[in-house]
Amino acid sequence: MHGHGWKWLLCTPALIVLLLAASGPLLIVAVYSFLSPGNMGGVVWEFSLEAWFRVFFRRDIFEPDLVEWNRAHLQVFWRSIWLSLQTTFICAVLGFPTAWFIATRPRHTRTIWLFLITIPFWTNLLIRTFAIQEMIRNNGTVNAVLMWSGLIDSPIQMMFTEFAVLLGMAYVFLPLMVLPLYAAMEKMDFSLVEAGYDLYASRLNVLWHVILPQVKPGFIAGSILVFIPAIGAYVTPRVLGGGRTMMLGNLIALQFGQGRNWPLGAALAMLMLVVVVGALIFYLRVVGRNDEARRG
Amino acid sequence: MARSRFSITRLPGFGLIAVLTFVMLYLPIIILVVFSFNAGVSQSRWDGFSLQWYQAAFNNAQVRDVSLRSLWLAVTAASIATMLATLAALGTTRVGRFPGQTMIYALINQPLMVPEIVTGIALLIFVAAIKVQTGYTGMGYLVAAHTAFCIPFAYLPIRARLETLDNALEAAAADLYASPIQAFRYITLPLMVPGILAGFMLGFVISLDTVVITEFVKSAGQDTLPTYMLGQLRRTVTPEMNAIATLFLALSLIVVTAFFLITRTRGR
Amino acid sequence: MSHEIDITGLSKSFGQGAAAFQALKEIDLTITSGEFFTLLGPSGCGKTTLLRIIAGFELPSTGTVRINGRDVTSLGPSKRPVNTVFQSYALFPHMSLSENIGFGLKMLGKPKAEIRATVDEMLQLVRLEAMADRRPSEISGGQQQRVALARALAPRPRVLLLDEPLSALDLKLRKEMQSELKRLQSETGITFVFVTHDQEEALTMSDRIAVMSAGQILQLGAPQEIYNTPVNRFVADFIGDTNFLKLRVKAVDAGMAVLELPGGKAAQASLPDGMRPATGALVTAVIRPEQAEATGADEGDLHATVESATFFGTDTHLHLTLADAQGFVLRRQNRPGQPVPAPQSRLGLALAPGALRVLED
Ligand SMILES: Nc1ncnc2c1ncn2[C@@H]1O[C@H](COP(=O)(O)OP(=O)(O)OP(=O)(O)O)[C@@H](O)[C@H]1O
Ligand SMILES: [Mg+2]
Repeated sequence: MHGHGWKWLLCTPALIVLLLAASGPLLIVAVYSFLSPGNMGGVVWEFSLEAWFRVFFRRDIFEPDLVEWNRAHLQVFWRSIWLSLQTTFICAVLGFPTAWFIATRPRHTRTIWLFLITIPFWTNLLIRTFAIQEMIRNNGTVNAVLMWSGLIDSPIQMMFTEFAVLLGMAYVFLPLMVLPLYAAMEKMDFSLVEAGYDLYASRLNVLWHVILPQVKPGFIAGSILVFIPAIGAYVTPRVLGGGRTMMLGNLIALQFGQGRNWPLGAALAMLMLVVVVGALIFYLRVVGRNDEARRG
Repeated sequence: MARSRFSITRLPGFGLIAVLTFVMLYLPIIILVVFSFNAGVSQSRWDGFSLQWYQAAFNNAQVRDVSLRSLWLAVTAASIATMLATLAALGTTRVGRFPGQTMIYALINQPLMVPEIVTGIALLIFVAAIKVQTGYTGMGYLVAAHTAFCIPFAYLPIRARLETLDNALEAAAADLYASPIQAFRYITLPLMVPGILAGFMLGFVISLDTVVITEFVKSAGQDTLPTYMLGQLRRTVTPEMNAIATLFLALSLIVVTAFFLITRTRGR
Repeated sequence: MSHEIDITGLSKSFGQGAAAFQALKEIDLTITSGEFFTLLGPSGCGKTTLLRIIAGFELPSTGTVRINGRDVTSLGPSKRPVNTVFQSYALFPHMSLSENIGFGLKMLGKPKAEIRATVDEMLQLVRLEAMADRRPSEISGGQQQRVALARALAPRPRVLLLDEPLSALDLKLRKEMQSELKRLQSETGITFVFVTHDQEEALTMSDRIAVMSAGQILQLGAPQEIYNTPVNRFVADFIGDTNFLKLRVKAVDAGMAVLELPGGKAAQASLPDGMRPATGALVTAVIRPEQAEATGADEGDLHATVESATFFGTDTHLHLTLADAQGFVLRRQNRPGQPVPAPQSRLGLALAPGALRVLED
């Protein structure tokens, strides 16, 4: 009616805060990744590709021309990706039956089950990680039960292992898999399942040929929704993993703590951002395509 | 009907896995809560019921201090975020497409998409630079960071609510001699209230939960409850931590339940 | 009879350039005070658009709207003495029925006592006194409809605009509300502008009807006028059922033509103004299904063979074929003991005098 100005005006206050405290600083990170590190943290305003170089490579201390892969970093990258993939897989394996279970409850109880899966999603991630820590500590619940039952004599070391990180991540990110899967199943046409059985398909056949194709978008959405925060995880590996099972998030944080190499930290952060945004674009493509398919 | 539906939806073993998943999801939390009432120091051996750890938590000046700071921060950030998100929702919902809309959506949702650790170190760098320039080390940084992080969460339910409103209601108000301001005051705003409340609650819970961003933005002596807990977890943990966590969980649970009830009644 | 609404040269286009769509084309229209005026036409013909322009929700592309002599073309809805009953009712869900009904008066800054008195009066008028404190979600569809009416009537507008207010109701409730609306209109004396695409509703309720098609008014007049003397094929087809016959002109004289009927007989038919077909030309003539009568097989003006009969309760429709294979529908009032003609039986048709009319295509 009066042009678009008023719409922008209404958005402006929010945009200012977001630019100042969310988007703007990301640009500074990008800039910092091309500067030289200061001695006590911070940066020296000198252009340098060293940070990006050191993301992947290292130089021999005595012979700077001797370049080799930065194995420590590559190991962290690999662990991040591998643990995230495993987390996604575990969440999918547990999440699918769970979502199916919820989706096939009668309408009134379904809301309750859904609520039960949503609560952990909104409760503090740190507390849930702490709860896992209490379970798997050397004198935690699991070891106590195992020793009490006589299965083991001395506690199993679970804390500070990759297993602990994996367990913790699967635990905290599971709702992110169940919710989109449930959404896909809720939309599912159950008469197709009936038709499948009607045409003599076994349960396994129906699952494989009828149900899975229909909930595939939910699977993809859930997988990416789990994979993204897993790649970006910081709290869970810090609490459950410790120094030897560092993930990318911890490696980044390290550069701003003891590492005192802000440009390297900035470059690593940009690397993480690229991976996450890539996964997100893939996600939007898939979800968008499915929306179109449904409409068309 | 119910019986035939039951049989076709039954997949062998799925029910068992689902129930086990629910058990695994809640067991650690339940154990955590149970041992907050333990009379002994152990987290795995039950020594009888006692409220001593709650007492200890209440008497711990540092815990009181960080809890109050967390609450203050959550209320402040969620309030500001809700106000800004309400305005933004009014500017972007039910107004047709306009140039720059996609960019506004991208900016609003950006905190949801970028990993917290990246936002955290970005803010660390930015705040460090401002501190050098201005010397200001107050709570402003945390408020701004939390507000920005809460905006997308507050925006979501407000926008959803606004989208369900019938455009004809405002037209009817105008037809009945209401000025645009009166129509907003008497029709749009009251009808948005559930969405605004829900938005505030989500923002509140999110701010209360935020640990990574706080960890990197806070100055000395600005610990919140989550960052305090994160620091404590490295040491030997007593059930006092369970007591704090239980109270924290209870608060989140109340807010989330209220949120659910509000968003569910809106369909009626 | 004073002019309530004067619309002159009104056009409305949506979109721009090549994508532009003209929803209203050069409408001229006068609505007089206190009449029940109906806009009737098929879906998409521009009824709602015209109503929204009168209400002030939409600006016309060209033309003016005058209410009671005052040019209101550029005034917003809150500045016009016109209220609307919305198709979706648009009742405020967070207010009680009383608050809904009193909203307009409150916005006009009327004193509380006056508002309360008017609200009570309105509740009584629509017979909802007992439900004053309920919310819109707690009453039935028909009751919501009545609240929407009461809300629009409460500020005593000069004109009430109603956009298909009955379309969401079931048939029985619809009939009830039709007489309710008529009652309210005569009790309040307010001018009603009523939109519908239901021709029967239009015929039973209106003082005058404007038949619209593709953004234009094709015919404007009293229900009888529109039904008995439709100006063109579209109106004849849209209002009521009509038999269209292609007939040859035998002679033309002073607004009347003599047409050759299938089977050899001839009949007189009225010609529309200014039409003078040549002798021997083929023209379209119309006749309503109830304006012919069955006679013995060898009597009457036309001879026909029965194809099928459809029973409608009050009457029966006989689907016939004429001597030259044109179809004809005859509507016959049902009487006790009257036999339904068997298929393939033959009968004659006597046309009522003046029933046959030639139409421009
Ligand atoms: N805002 C708009 N933008 C573009 N075209 C529109 C708009 N509003 C109406 N139209 C078009 O104008 C034409 C007339 O619409 P209008 O709503 O007046 O029809 P109507 O006679 O009320 O139909 P119905 O009986 O279905 O309610 C339609 O073809 C419609 O598609
Ligand atoms: Mg319409």
